[in-house]
Amino acid sequence: MNEQFRIAQKLGLMFRPEESLPEDIKSWAMKQLKAKSPALGVNNTQAKKIQVWPNKLQPDLLTRDNLYSEYKYNRQREEMDLAGYNSEAAKQDNEKKHLLLKTDQLKFSHRNVFGNDQVKLRFSSFWTNHFTTGNIWDNQNHIGHMMEEAILANLNNNFSEMLYKVTTHPSMLVYLDNCWSCGERSQTAIWAKQNGEQAGLNDNLGRELLELHTVSPSAKYTESDIRGAANTLAGWGIWPGRISDQSELLSIPQRHQKLLKMGGTINSWDFFKQDHAEPGNKKVLGKVIPAGKGGLRQLTDFLAAHEHTVKHISFKLAQHFVSDNPSKADTDFIANAWRKSNGNLDEIHSAVIERAIQSKEPKFQWPMTWLFQVIRLSDARFFKGWGQLNRYDNSIMESREIFEELGQGFWHERQPDGYSSDKKEWLSGEMFERRIRFSDAIYSAGRPKFKADDIMNRIDASVTTRSLVANVGMSEKSKFIALMCSPEIMGLENA
Amino acid sequence: MPKLNLTRRQFLKTSGASLFLAGLPLPGFTKDKPPGTISVIMLEGGMDGLAAVPPIGDPDLSRMRKGLIPDDYLKLNSLFALHPSFQYFGGLMAKNNASIVHATNFPYTLRSHFEGQNLMQGGGLSPFSESTGWLGRALDLAMLPGRSLSLDMPLLLRGTDKNDNFYPASVRSSSKLSTQLIDMISMAHSKEGASVFNKVSQKSTQKDSIVPRDPASLAKYAGKAMSQEGGPLSSVIKVTQFDTHASQGANENGYHGRQMTLIDDIIAGYREGLGDAWDRSIILTLTEFGRTVKINGTWGTDHGYGSAGLLAGGSITKSRVISEWPGLADRDLFQKRDVMSTIDYRSVCAACIENALGLDHDLIADKVFFTPKLPRVYDYIFS
Repeated sequence: MNEQFRIAQKLGLMFRPEESLPEDIKSWAMKQLKAKSPALGVNNTQAKKIQVWPNKLQPDLLTRDNLYSEYKYNRQREEMDLAGYNSEAAKQDNEKKHLLLKTDQLKFSHRNVFGNDQVKLRFSSFWTNHFTTGNIWDNQNHIGHMMEEAILANLNNNFSEMLYKVTTHPSMLVYLDNCWSCGERSQTAIWAKQNGEQAGLNDNLGRELLELHTVSPSAKYTESDIRGAANTLAGWGIWPGRISDQSELLSIPQRHQKLLKMGGTINSWDFFKQDHAEPGNKKVLGKVIPAGKGGLRQLTDFLAAHEHTVKHISFKLAQHFVSDNPSKADTDFIANAWRKSNGNLDEIHSAVIERAIQSKEPKFQWPMTWLFQVIRLSDARFFKGWGQLNRYDNSIMESREIFEELGQGFWHERQPDGYSSDKKEWLSGEMFERRIRFSDAIYSAGRPKFKADDIMNRIDASVTTRSLVANVGMSEKSKFIALMCSPEIMGLENA
Repeated sequence: MPKLNLTRRQFLKTSGASLFLAGLPLPGFTKDKPPGTISVIMLEGGMDGLAAVPPIGDPDLSRMRKGLIPDDYLKLNSLFALHPSFQYFGGLMAKNNASIVHATNFPYTLRSHFEGQNLMQGGGLSPFSESTGWLGRALDLAMLPGRSLSLDMPLLLRGTDKNDNFYPASVRSSSKLSTQLIDMISMAHSKEGASVFNKVSQKSTQKDSIVPRDPASLAKYAGKAMSQEGGPLSSVIKVTQFDTHASQGANENGYHGRQMTLIDDIIAGYREGLGDAWDRSIILTLTEFGRTVKINGTWGTDHGYGSAGLLAGGSITKSRVISEWPGLADRDLFQKRDVMSTIDYRSVCAACIENALGLDHDLIADKVFFTPKLPRVYDYIFS
């Protein structure tokens, strides 16, 4: 494989046929970090023109919250068995109009298949996985927004900024139960105790903020540190169910009034309930965090700069992008860039690029990355167009189905440690069988414009790959499957 | 290949449950038929043992857990009761076919899901120290490398590289796999790639069939497969979402109660599927830790230490609650917050392996759990 594709495979999503190959691959990869690309896609699978996603399918957070409120409002009426709400058609219509899971998954897929910012998208997926959230507790209208606005939009920022934006995003605050938490000495907890109610702390997000998002257990934090983090987080977030209200039927303005009273804002990304906050200073890993809304920023800044965070995430980056078994030198190189730049993500990502180019070690690709790479290489149309979102077509799989079959998707219910970048977690007969089946399906349903021979010429495929493709016979489909499942395209070997 | 009618589409993963079947004897590896079967229900997130088996006779329970004690529990003895979600399991206890181990855990106290899950599956001495799982190693020792049914391969079942997995594909527009094509692909790969594609090639000759989707049907399916001559000797069902930091609920219609009902349904499904093979079966639950004794501020519980293990199967002939109950007074708690673990759950797993696979305890202790002095609790469970 030529150097351009070798690097595009490790760090990006492969060059689409309309893209010319850069002469200086390192300079290209570095420039990609700053690439600006709207969400691109197609209206339908037959469309020739790649277009910008329609604005109406990319609602802002407030609209998303309002849509969800409407959804819950209609569900309440359905449960009350009210005419106009209780039929199967009304139920489906309610989901179609107000829930964004299908739309967001398709947009994510389109971005990765058609985007001009492939390196940036790969880093975006890395961080989306690092900050895993999932579709539980009425969270589905939030996940896609967090990926776009807290992660992708902050890729050229500092890690501390991304950490803060993710930690305060409703997708995270709901997924890890923080939206219910309140300090033991908060006004709400005191009131609850006086009235025989239950209110107080849960430590779920506080724990994972330390264990997964920043310092890792290597920092040897204690339960007291976890509690300190949880107390700092107490008061942050609002449950979408609360926005819609459990017991009353409220109009959107009425709901907004209620939110304003609770948090002083209707913005669920900046929602801090003062009466749920723990008064007084907190302590986390020796750092004193002051009371109030600003305390969280101090905590996330402190954790973002912590040496254990630097080491923990530098290793994860090296294992994801550089090699399946990154050397200490790989990790140290990235960690040094982190330290020198005080966590500037452009500098950190540049170090990752530098090391990935320098390393000749292969890097096995995640199932979803491989899928996007196969589609881009062959210019297939495997995902629905946005105009087909709510149309059933037996020959086209929904994005949700595709990710389910691949065994990997950012909207799945899953544990907060996310997907492993360790090759051995993905080496199973069934995982490999999926690659054969998807290669077949992409060829059969996606009608790729480029055949195996065209692709091999473009990437300058190795002798081993050419020999494999030559040996499987004259069928274009067999050649396509063999190529896409070759060690070279799977990133298993540098053939 | 074994004659068993287990095929790629027979596996599934939905409703938060996944099934893995293992220990399908491969030609040339099988020795004498082991005495029984072993099934593990993996409960990810940390099941609340105090909710599953509330120690109603402990005077501190109601003080610490007001709001999380179920109304209609089934009283087992003067100290323990069973959550109302376990209707079927309770029936098995009445028939002397089920037992409970309480105040137990793997020896891990740091409350991380991921370290805890790695230990409960890997059975190693420290987190992430093992690349194989305790059940995979036990099957290897019994000369029973086999297949698991899953898209990924759970650590619990990883043993020799002869082990394999199944998962029913549903990729539209893909046709039947050509063995010749897969063989070619396999030959182009070296190292692990070749080995994995070789397994794909072997499986490509098997036919497709329809699989159930809900956890109970899944367990019934697994039980039926295990009951067949030459069938798998081990199965694992994974159930997620036990991490109940908020709105845990006390009764069977609460969040945790519904998850426990799933466990009950799974055990009932196994019983039905196993048929006559029930008599030589053992089913055990596995979770990474218990939860805090005290209810937290959001009607849930946080990560703890000691939990409870549920055991069921015809191999059990006398039902018991096996426990060295540590008490729930502040001074009795682990770090003043969690149920102390007084029984090493690895001993329970070892006893189940001994019962099902006929391996010697000392061998299991040494080669499976790397702890030669691991206490033997077989007689408490199976005598």
